[in-house]
Amino acid sequence: MADERSGFDAVVEGPKPSYQGELSPVQVQSPGEVHESVEALRDLFGEAVLRHDVVANGQHIVFVPPERNLEILTWLRDDPEQQYDLLRDVTAVDYGGGQPLQVVYQLFSFFHKNALCVKCELPLDDLEIESVVSLWKAANWLEREVYDLFGITFKNHPDLRRILMPPDYAEGHPLRKDFPLRGRFSRAEQTRRALSQDLDHYYFDAEIERGGEPQELPPVAKTGEEAPE
Amino acid sequence: MAQKTVELTLGRTPEMGVGGKPVMGPLAPIDMPEPDMESENMLVNIGPQHPATHGVLRLVCELDGETVVKCTPHIGYLHSSFEKLGEYRTWNQIVPLTDRMDYLAPLIYNCAYIMSVEAMMGIEVTERCKLTRVIMMELDRIFGHLLWLGTFVMDLGAFTPFLYTFTERERIYRLHEAYTGARITTSATRVGGMMSDMPEGWAQGVRDFCHGLPRTLEECETLLDNHGIFLSRCQGIGVISGEDALNYGLTGANLRGSGVPYDVRKDQPYYDYETYDFEIPVGEYGDSYDRYLCRMEEMKQSLRILHQALDRLEKAKGPMDVEDPRITLPSKTDAMSDMESMIHHFKLVTEGLHAPVGESYFPVEASKGELGMYVVSDGGTKPVRWRVRPPSFVNLAALPSMLEGHLLSDLITINASIDIVLGEIDR
Amino acid sequence: MGLNDKAPPQIVGASPGLLGEGTPAFFTSKLDFLVNWARRNSLWPNPLGTACCGIEMMAAFASDYDLARFGMERMSFSPRQADVLVCAGRVTYKFAPVLRRIWDQMTQPKWCISMGACASTGGVFDVYSMVQGIDTIIPVDVYIPGCPPRPEALIYALMMVQEKIKQESLDQHAILRAEDPAAVAKPRADEEEIGDLSGPFGNSTEQNRVSGLERTDVISRPGDRLP
Repeated sequence: MADERSGFDAVVEGPKPSYQGELSPVQVQSPGEVHESVEALRDLFGEAVLRHDVVANGQHIVFVPPERNLEILTWLRDDPEQQYDLLRDVTAVDYGGGQPLQVVYQLFSFFHKNALCVKCELPLDDLEIESVVSLWKAANWLEREVYDLFGITFKNHPDLRRILMPPDYAEGHPLRKDFPLRGRFSRAEQTRRALSQDLDHYYFDAEIERGGEPQELPPVAKTGEEAPE
Repeated sequence: MAQKTVELTLGRTPEMGVGGKPVMGPLAPIDMPEPDMESENMLVNIGPQHPATHGVLRLVCELDGETVVKCTPHIGYLHSSFEKLGEYRTWNQIVPLTDRMDYLAPLIYNCAYIMSVEAMMGIEVTERCKLTRVIMMELDRIFGHLLWLGTFVMDLGAFTPFLYTFTERERIYRLHEAYTGARITTSATRVGGMMSDMPEGWAQGVRDFCHGLPRTLEECETLLDNHGIFLSRCQGIGVISGEDALNYGLTGANLRGSGVPYDVRKDQPYYDYETYDFEIPVGEYGDSYDRYLCRMEEMKQSLRILHQALDRLEKAKGPMDVEDPRITLPSKTDAMSDMESMIHHFKLVTEGLHAPVGESYFPVEASKGELGMYVVSDGGTKPVRWRVRPPSFVNLAALPSMLEGHLLSDLITINASIDIVLGEIDR
Repeated sequence: MGLNDKAPPQIVGASPGLLGEGTPAFFTSKLDFLVNWARRNSLWPNPLGTACCGIEMMAAFASDYDLARFGMERMSFSPRQADVLVCAGRVTYKFAPVLRRIWDQMTQPKWCISMGACASTGGVFDVYSMVQGIDTIIPVDVYIPGCPPRPEALIYALMMVQEKIKQESLDQHAILRAEDPAAVAKPRADEEEIGDLSGPFGNSTEQNRVSGLERTDVISRPGDRLP
């Protein structure tokens, strides 16, 4: 099978999906394998468990509706039978081709030594989901990163702004599949923009206020004119 | 599953230090009323180019006198978009990218990434390969901790341990170079095995290193453990409680220093780590000194694992790579003399491996904490998403809370004690 | 024997010489030579280590390689006292204004070493966030290839800077070392040159950067008019 994404066209246009078929993960483990938390979730939330996949390495993935993420994650953290007290990771996956973006939560219960992956699928026209910073402070920067690189807005996040890219980055959200690898602008334009950053991009408004008005330096005398013959 | 977590508590009372050595505590506050003057907070910008920020971290601190009221870290000055680049690389081509993320312990990153891909593909590597990877990971845990020790102590004003640790690091550099040909950018792993079998005498070289390291550690401890300035700058500085640390998602020695015995090697063992005899050092107070003690002890525990793994390696004489023509390249002799092998070679190199549809999150205990490699495949030769859960990124997010109320000079201590590497924070 | 038979000429009433009794009490030299000798043997590097190359730079400063042998053990973390900027590691667009400002803050005479593939060309990181070679932003004197270069390579590069200093002359100082205040915080290269410098190269199929020598005159530093 020839890989459609090979060739450097993809570098300019953004990657094309290499596989157009059904995107359900291969059930590597025996499908009958049960996960206590998933069973408990099914009992309590019923139809909120949209899908349950077991992928390689015995990892359990639960798909839940995005509007109920906070409710379900709160229960997973606080229920004494579950106690998922360590939020390992928050990230997102873009499959491209107009498919919904997935927000992925990797949970681990330090007490029960259990791992669980919770996913929410967000359609491209409604990229909003409730923030979980109120549950785990670890989510603060992780959600900021997802916002920066994927453009997913986290509601009620205390400090949602770009974290890796400059605050005035105008080219979009880099990890989306429609974003070209080298950026949307030419290198010259990127360089120009980078060097023309002003004070607002280094400090918050409150910090600028604290620091006072920037001082205008006196004009420098032109050197190099009095060069000897 | 019989899982044994032995806790080794590094206890000390406020009066007596480790092993009954006296401790110089922080100076008692002078009981004087603060003069009532009009004052306003000051803004200090540290970095991105600053020797004590360990790279290109930038901290904007609001100071009341010398006390930090608020600290805002700004990162992203080294954002090299590894994850985007990975979507344009085949599974094996990503390996060279991984060692440029954590350049302090590259082999752990090599192994962690490839273990995640293998878990997704359902590949079980050979015993010899497992042992080699365990040796490499433990070697690089020491490698990373040694650099941390040198720079941490240098930030506190002592230069000598930096020279000692770099002498030891040069020995590991030489081991890296003997195996992979590169000092830092090792790229040692491939899907289904290693880049090659280990060179003659390499295992003995690791053993020699293991015999030499304790002496250097002892020398550093002699210099530091009784040093009044060192102790008073570390003890009680940057305290974070166990619950807070867990809530902030801290991992590695930062979490263990706060008394939570979480180590992926014990809690979600991979590569038969449950059969090795080693202990998890756990701190008590959660301050910078406990983190220092934990890392020092971790190096000694890594040495124990190394000795056991080297013993087992002598008995594991099997092949290094998985013998599956769909995964491993044929030998050079076969590729040059056998038609089918050559076709396999050509297909594997030009097209890359075909992974099944699936995904895998594989946590590994790196030198900085829990490193999670998350790969998503859609059945092609390249990943749809390659995500790294960088331990220092999450650890650094807790810096502002650990810093509040401390002096500006403590910022240097705390920042150095949580052991960050900007390559993996910014990716 | 014959040569030593003759007693050295006695200078009556003169002070003891520089190298012992009877040797001259002064020596002549070119001022250029003296200044360059002093400059090149006390280079203060500003170690701007951002990534992997920074670790190799640390190794070069540490015990096994010991840059102190070349008079460079005094690292100047403040750009204002630094003579040579060692830019070791990847430079992003977010970091580019910082790099430019550090360069602007350094006082003349100053030199720049671009250490490693990423700093020199962008390396493997031909992506949206990376500067494709710091020579688009600041002038560079010596490029070190390698990913990362070994400490020996850094030492060699510093020796090449020393060689370069050796060839400088004071009467050209005002021309060579002149700085235009209008160029502060501006990229060194113009738009066309940035496009040339940051085009894909190496393994890429749409290679448009020429690896031959005809481009060299564009890439080199404009102020470089050394003999």
